[in-house]
Amino acid sequence: MTTPTIERETERGTVLYAVEQPDTPWVTIVWNDPVNLQTYVTYVFKSYFGHSREEAERLMLLVHHEGRAVVASGGREEMERHVEAMHDYGLWATLAKDDA
Amino acid sequence: MIPFTRHGVLVIVRLSDLEAEVLRDLAGQLTELLGDRATTHEAPTDAGSAAALFAQLGIGGSTVAPLDPALARLLPDAYKNDLSASSEHRRLTEGGLVDRKIAHARLVVASLTSSPITLDEAAAQSWLRTLTDLRLTIASRLRIIDDGDEGTGDEALLDVYDWLGYLQGTLLDAIE
Repeated sequence: MTTPTIERETERGTVLYAVEQPDTPWVTIVWNDPVNLQTYVTYVFKSYFGHSREEAERLMLLVHHEGRAVVASGGREEMERHVEAMHDYGLWATLAKDDA
Repeated sequence: MIPFTRHGVLVIVRLSDLEAEVLRDLAGQLTELLGDRATTHEAPTDAGSAAALFAQLGIGGSTVAPLDPALARLLPDAYKNDLSASSEHRRLTEGGLVDRKIAHARLVVASLTSSPITLDEAAAQSWLRTLTDLRLTIASRLRIIDDGDEGTGDEALLDVYDWLGYLQGTLLDAIE
């Protein structure tokens, strides 16, 4: 999804690349916690990210069973906004570089 | 009696006097807990400084995660293994996050004084978030760490914790 963008940005040269590119692939990760209700986590994914019920439930179950799930990817600032929004909802979320 | 029922665009809340009192008390305590955090980085008195300007703009808060485990869970690091990025993110965003959480809890307290209690969409959001923050705080006090964990086993506190979960579940049912 992001590979062509990276190559294009790289070809622009080192000066441009040294600046944080808005489409550098970052991800928002939601971590499992023993507190939040499954229905609430599903509701947050549905209402905040606009996911369908099916997709929201799939992500919720991924968090529950795997301990974490990537719920969004994109530029760093956008992921920071998502993380802040998740913290508003009381979900435990972090952001990281996609390759991290 | 189901505590939340949908009536058109509004949610009607039915709580006993005791339940309303418990919730008002808990939301008040949450406001105090968060308020402690808000005042740990009060605006500097030197009005001309850059820090004062940042404070005016609502940024320039604490850079260190709270020591209190409940506060640390309510206001988590934004990066898992990057302390300096977490500090910078916290400095820029924590003040706003704390203010919003306090505003939601205060709205819950205020709505509990009306009769009957009716919630519009925004108020219902405040209730959902405050119920979450209360459960996170109590779970931290109970030292609940894993799924299905009963922590210290303090039964009175566990009852409150479960009751708050029941409230949140039925509020979600009413909203959706």
